[in-house]
Amino acid sequence: MLSKLFLPFILLLSFWQAVAQNQSDSLALTLKIEWKGNPLALSKTYISSNNDTLQLHQLKFYVGNIQIDFNDKSNFQQKVYHLIDLENLNSMRIPICKNEKKNISQISFSIGVDSLQSVSGALAGDLDPAKGMYWAWQSGYINMKIEGTSSSCATRNNAFHFHIGGYLPPNNASRKIVLTPKSNSLEVIVDVATLFDNILLSENNSIMIPGKKAMEIANKCTKIFASK
Amino acid sequence: MKKSIQYAVLGIVFLIVIAFAKIECTPLYFNIPKSWPKPHYNFKTNPLTEEGFQLGRQLFYDPILSKDSTISCSSCHMQATGFTHVDHDLSHGIEGKIGTRNSLTLQNLAWSKHFMWDGGINHLDIQAIAPITSEVEMNESLENVVVKLQNSKKYPLLFEKAFGTKKITGQFTLKALSQFVVSLTTTNAKYDKVMQIKASFSEMEKKGYSLFKKNCATCHQEPLFTSDSFENNGLPKDSFLNDLGRMKISQNPKDSLQFKVPTLRNIEFTFPYMHDGRFKTLSEVLKHYNSGIQQSKSLSKELSKPLHLSDNERTEIIAFLKTLTDKEFLFNPRFSYPKE
Ligand code: HEC
Ligand code: HEC
Repeated sequence: MLSKLFLPFILLLSFWQAVAQNQSDSLALTLKIEWKGNPLALSKTYISSNNDTLQLHQLKFYVGNIQIDFNDKSNFQQKVYHLIDLENLNSMRIPICKNEKKNISQISFSIGVDSLQSVSGALAGDLDPAKGMYWAWQSGYINMKIEGTSSSCATRNNAFHFHIGGYLPPNNASRKIVLTPKSNSLEVIVDVATLFDNILLSENNSIMIPGKKAMEIANKCTKIFASK
Repeated sequence: MKKSIQYAVLGIVFLIVIAFAKIECTPLYFNIPKSWPKPHYNFKTNPLTEEGFQLGRQLFYDPILSKDSTISCSSCHMQATGFTHVDHDLSHGIEGKIGTRNSLTLQNLAWSKHFMWDGGINHLDIQAIAPITSEVEMNESLENVVVKLQNSKKYPLLFEKAFGTKKITGQFTLKALSQFVVSLTTTNAKYDKVMQIKASFSEMEKKGYSLFKKNCATCHQEPLFTSDSFENNGLPKDSFLNDLGRMKISQNPKDSLQFKVPTLRNIEFTFPYMHDGRFKTLSEVLKHYNSGIQQSKSLSKELSKPLHLSDNERTEIIAFLKTLTDKEFLFNPRFSYPKE
């Protein structure tokens, strides 16, 4: 009984220490969310190449199924889902594994959660429905939430909402991203401008359900990720 | 010296035992009547405990779940009427706002695969997000509910008892509500007693039962009185609500005007009837099935030919339907408003 109680504590403690000490010795996937090379800021005014003037108020998405392939053919896989939130700086650094100084050949991950999560009821951690990334009237996770305002939108308060998700075929909106870094870096650049250069906000400004339109945005979102 | 160490060890062991005893929950056994199918709900991912059930019950009856603390789940789901919103065709919520559908009963949901009239929700554990966040129902966010519960006097302790931690999460809140809702089983109506040969039907009920089996039971399947599938039972579309039912979820025109087949248990008390509450009485319902069916592409084939039920036969079916009333369920003190 003694060990039953203490073991988790000791494990937790040593884990904590390991994490605390080895931050520099460990690999982490880092997302840099940008607008044309500069860090993206909420509520700041940007202009897309379609001449849409816009401000972002919310940007959140799930990253999961991370796999790092090394040059020596070994790899590292992580099944966990992480909620990336522009308002939460900590969320943009995802610790991966110990740094064994191997060369990285490929980074892959999914944007959004897979269908199993969307049929499993109430989950914990970053998948907790209290994170606001779960649909109410039709089950399933929102893979990516992008909200803001633009004078191009003839909507209430000039708002645009993209809640991209859906797990049922043929409208499964989760996407796999595969990147081959040139500089052995685990930094992923997320250039949000690339997305808005591909959207006309006057015509396309509200997607709140799974379907064809969500699939189109999901496809466009695959283009915003790049490695270094 | 040695003795004192012994005492110290003993003391520590004692403390640990107490610590364990405190977080120990009382498991509840989910009773499945003989000859009933296996429930669909996966109790392994949310094991029923007395503490979890009682927490869920507190939450179900607590308006803290709504934005202005005026509406609780029980505002629209009242025990004495099979946990539905009686006398309102469309349920109304916060600030008296009116929703677009009639409230469903909460009965035997452990056997249900899909929830809501259109089956848009695929798991009981996440169902509660819908009413909590609906602008016309409780108009609150789950995130904020968690904050309010965490800051309350009563809930951190109740969560600790149920889940072993005072840290409240959305997951625990939903699972607790589920534990209460999934426990709402009604299995002891006169019909059940007749099936167990502990009672017998009157002549009229017996005739009604045969007519029911012939005309209604493919959709309202025994013993749950629902096939848990989606059907179009020939209701003319309400042009104001324009509710396409299942098609809204599947986006498949074949599913147009199909709705979840509701259970008929306690049907005597769950009026008004249908997804938009258009019928106030069972005789109106029977009249619809007999002569009001609207032909359409998605109409279920069982109903495509007229039933030709006589006045007497319709009365007999209604007499049978009333044998589905389970007073024990409707007045079970375990399911009622919790007196602290
Ligand atoms: C304002 C009224 C209202 C409130 C408050 C409300 N509900 Fe409901 N409930 C409804 C309506 C209406 C439906 C049917 C909705 C639909 O089909 O779109 C429903 C459906 C359900 C269902 C699905 C039943 C089935 O057979 O599919 C469950 C479960 C449920 N409610 C539980 C709850 C819980 C738990 C709460 C509190 C967190 C709650 N409800 C609060 C009106 C309400
Ligand atoms: C083809 C399938 C089917 C058949 C056959 C059928 N029903 Fe239904 N029944 C449904 C569906 C679907 C609904 C819900 C329709 C809606 O609200 O849009 C329903 C609703 C009802 C309701 C209202 C329940 C509530 O809670 O609102 C009653 C009562 C009812 N049926 C009784 C009967 C009787 C009695 C018969 C036989 C004469 C019958 N049904 C035959 C599919 C069927």
